[in-house]
Amino acid sequence: MASLSTTTSTAAGDSLRSFAGLRRETRILRGVAAADAPGSQLRRRQLGVVRASRTSPRLNGRKLRVAVVGGGPAGGSAAEALAKGGVETMLIERKLDNCKPCGGAIPLCMVEEFGLPLDLIDRRVTKMKMISPSNVAVDIGRTLGPDEYIGMVRREVLDAYLRGRAAEAGASVINGLFLRLEQPEGPGGPYRIHYNEFSPAGGGAGERRTAEVDAVVGADGANSRVAKSIGAGEYEYAIAFQERVRIPETKMEYYKERAEMYVGDDVSPDFYGWVFPKCDHVAVGTGTVTHKADIKKFQAATRLRAKDKIEGGTIIRVEAHPIPEHPRPRRVLGRVALIGDAAGYVTKCSGEGIYFAAKSGRMCAEAIVEGSENGSRMIDEGDLRKYLEKFDKMYWPTYKVLDVLQKLFYRSNAAREAFVEMCADEYVQKMTFDSYLYKKVVPGNPVDDLKLAVNTIGSLVRANALRREMDKLTL
Amino acid sequence: MMALLASPHPPTIFCALSCKRYHLGPRIRSPPPSLLLLPARNLSLVLPRCADGSAAAADGNMEKKDEAVPPTRPLESEKNKQPHQQQQQQYHHHEIRDGSVVKAQALKFEDTRWVGGTWDMRQFRKNGSTDWDAVIHADSYDSAANGNNGSDGSCGQQMWQQWKLRTTAAVATEAADRSSDSGGSSRGRLLVAEDPAVLSLNSGRNYTWSNNGRKLWALARSSNSFLMTEEGSVHCICGGGSGRKHRWRRENRDIKNLKKLFEEMTLYDKQWLATWQDDAPGDSKN
Repeated sequence: MASLSTTTSTAAGDSLRSFAGLRRETRILRGVAAADAPGSQLRRRQLGVVRASRTSPRLNGRKLRVAVVGGGPAGGSAAEALAKGGVETMLIERKLDNCKPCGGAIPLCMVEEFGLPLDLIDRRVTKMKMISPSNVAVDIGRTLGPDEYIGMVRREVLDAYLRGRAAEAGASVINGLFLRLEQPEGPGGPYRIHYNEFSPAGGGAGERRTAEVDAVVGADGANSRVAKSIGAGEYEYAIAFQERVRIPETKMEYYKERAEMYVGDDVSPDFYGWVFPKCDHVAVGTGTVTHKADIKKFQAATRLRAKDKIEGGTIIRVEAHPIPEHPRPRRVLGRVALIGDAAGYVTKCSGEGIYFAAKSGRMCAEAIVEGSENGSRMIDEGDLRKYLEKFDKMYWPTYKVLDVLQKLFYRSNAAREAFVEMCADEYVQKMTFDSYLYKKVVPGNPVDDLKLAVNTIGSLVRANALRREMDKLTL
Repeated sequence: MMALLASPHPPTIFCALSCKRYHLGPRIRSPPPSLLLLPARNLSLVLPRCADGSAAAADGNMEKKDEAVPPTRPLESEKNKQPHQQQQQQYHHHEIRDGSVVKAQALKFEDTRWVGGTWDMRQFRKNGSTDWDAVIHADSYDSAANGNNGSDGSCGQQMWQQWKLRTTAAVATEAADRSSDSGGSSRGRLLVAEDPAVLSLNSGRNYTWSNNGRKLWALARSSNSFLMTEEGSVHCICGGGSGRKHRWRRENRDIKNLKKLFEEMTLYDKQWLATWQDDAPGDSKN
C-alpha cells in the first residue's frame, strides 16, 4: 500500500506540478492523464468537468491541516465549516476581545443561514431614515413585514460567538498574531506559517511559533498580512471613521429602532454619514475614499446634521478602519485563499461586509472540505477556485447593482437629492429591502420596473434642473 | 464665476455675443426647459459683458438678472446709454493682447472697410492671407466705439445682423414663431465658455484666438451666423430669415468623455475578474 501510494503521489505530484499557475481546465485535463484509471478519465472528459481532487494524493494517516488566519465573521465561519467537515483546523486570532469598528448591521438572511441566536442582536432596526443634502428626510422601511428587520450587533459579541462555535466543532482557537508564511518547497509540500502565540495570562510579545499546514485561509481583514505574503495585490479602500456617542435616554428613544443615513457633499463626497443605534449608545460616523484627509471635517458635518438628535451626548470612543472598495486582484494563489474583507468583499453604496465575509468563509471551507473529501486528500488551487466561482456567480449581480447605484446617485448633491426622492417610493423600498435582507436581486414586475426606470430618470432630471435654479439664486 | 463678473475690463470681443446672451438669460419663455439641463458651466464668460459693459454696467446688469426680468430686446439700451460715455474712456484703457492699434472710430458709423453689410475682407489681406486678428479687432473696436444699438449698423457686424434678422424675420414670420425673437436662430442657444481650439482665456480678461478660431469666426460672420463656444465644442448658430434652425457643432471632448465613461462603467467588472486572468509565469506555487 505504501509503495502504491508513493507512486500515485509522485505521478500525481508530476501532474500537480503541471497544474501550477494554470487556470484553464483543459490544461488540467492534459496533466492529469497519466495518473488516472481510464474509466474515471473517460467520465471526466465526457462531463467536461475536472475533479482535480480525485487525482490528488491521499494523505497518509492524517487529516488535511488548514490554518485560518483571523477570527472575525469570515474566519469564524470558515473554521467552523472546516472543523465540521473533518479537517484539522487552527484559527489564529490576535485579539480575542477585539471591538472592530463597524456599523454592525446584519441582514435577516444571515441570522437564518448561520443560525444566530436572537440575543446576539442588540437592536432590530425597522425604520431607516435617509436624509438628503437639503435635509429632506424620507422614511424607508414602510414595506417591512412584522418580523423583518436589520439586526444591529456588537462585533465583539458576534465574533466571539462564531469562534466559540468553531471551537465546539473541533477547531483549535489560538490567540496569536500571524507574522508571515513560507511557500512550500515542492508541489504538495506544506506551508509554514510563523506566528506569535500569546499566553492566556496576557502580557509580553508572545512566543514565536511555526506550524506546518497544507492550506491557509486568509481572513485577517482589510490590512491582511496573508494577502501581502502571497502578493495578492492592492485595492482601493475607504476610511470609515466612527464615534460612539452615549446620548441621554430620551434621545435614545428616537433611535430605538431607527437608523439614519445622511447623504451630501458635506458629509462625504462618495459615501454617506450614519447614525446607527448600538446597545446603549449610538455610533455616528462617515467614510470616504477620495478625500481621506478631510475625514474629520466630514465627521464634524455629520455631527452637525444630527445635531439636535445627539445633543448632550458624550463621545465614549473614536475609531476608524479601512473598508475595501473592490476585490483584490488575486484572491486565490496556490493553496491560499482569501475571504471576507481580506479579499475585498464589501459592497459599494451600502458598504456591507459582514454577511459576505461570513458567507465567503463558509463557501471556501465547503470547497476545501469537498475537494479534500472530508480531509482525506490533499487539495489544490482548483478546489479553492471553485469557491471563488461559486461566490462570484451568486453575488456578482448584487455587487454590480450596488456599484451602478453608487455611480448614479453618489455623484453630486443633485443626484443624491434624486436618490432620496426615489427612496420615498414604495416599490423602491420593497426592492431595496428585499435585496438587502435576502441577498437576492429579484426582478420584480416588469411594469413596475419600467415605472421605476422612468421615475429614476425623472428624479435625476428634476434634481439637476433644481440645482441649476438653486445656483442661479445663490449667486 | 464671480471673479469673471467682477472683472473691470471686459473683453470686447464678446460684446455682441454677450449682450445678446445676457438678454436671453433671464428670459422666461425660451429656451425650453430641456435646455436647462445642458451644461452651463462657464456662463459667466459671456454673460453681462457688453461692449459698453463697464464694471458699472455689469453690476447694473447683474442686479437686473436677479429679478424676474421680462424679455428684453437688445434695442432697449437705456442701461447701455447712460454709462456709455464712461465706457468709452474705460475702453481706451482696455488692452487686447494681440492688439493692433486701431483708432477709435467716430461715433457715427463710418468705416470704409465696411462694405455691403459686412467687412470687406480684402482690406485685411496681409502677406497674401487674411489677417484675422485685424478683422476681429476692427470689428470689436467698432462695436465698442460706436455704441451698442444695432439699428444703424453702428455696433459691428453681429449686432447689425441681429437687428436685420429681427426686423426681417419679424416681418416674415408669424407671431407664434419665437425664433425671430432671437434673431431667427435656433432654440439651441447655448452658453458659451471656452474652447481651446477657438480661443484661450488668459487671466480671465484677455482672449487670444487660435488660427482656427479666427477662421471660424470670420466664416461665421460672413455667413450671417453667430459663433459661440462652449467648453469642448464650438457652435455656429446660423441665423437666417425666418427662423431657420441650424446648429453645427465640433466636439472636442465628447469622445474622450464617452471613453472615460465606458471605462468607468466597466472598471468594477474588471476588478472582479482580475483573479480569473492568467497570471504571470512563475507566480503560483503548489
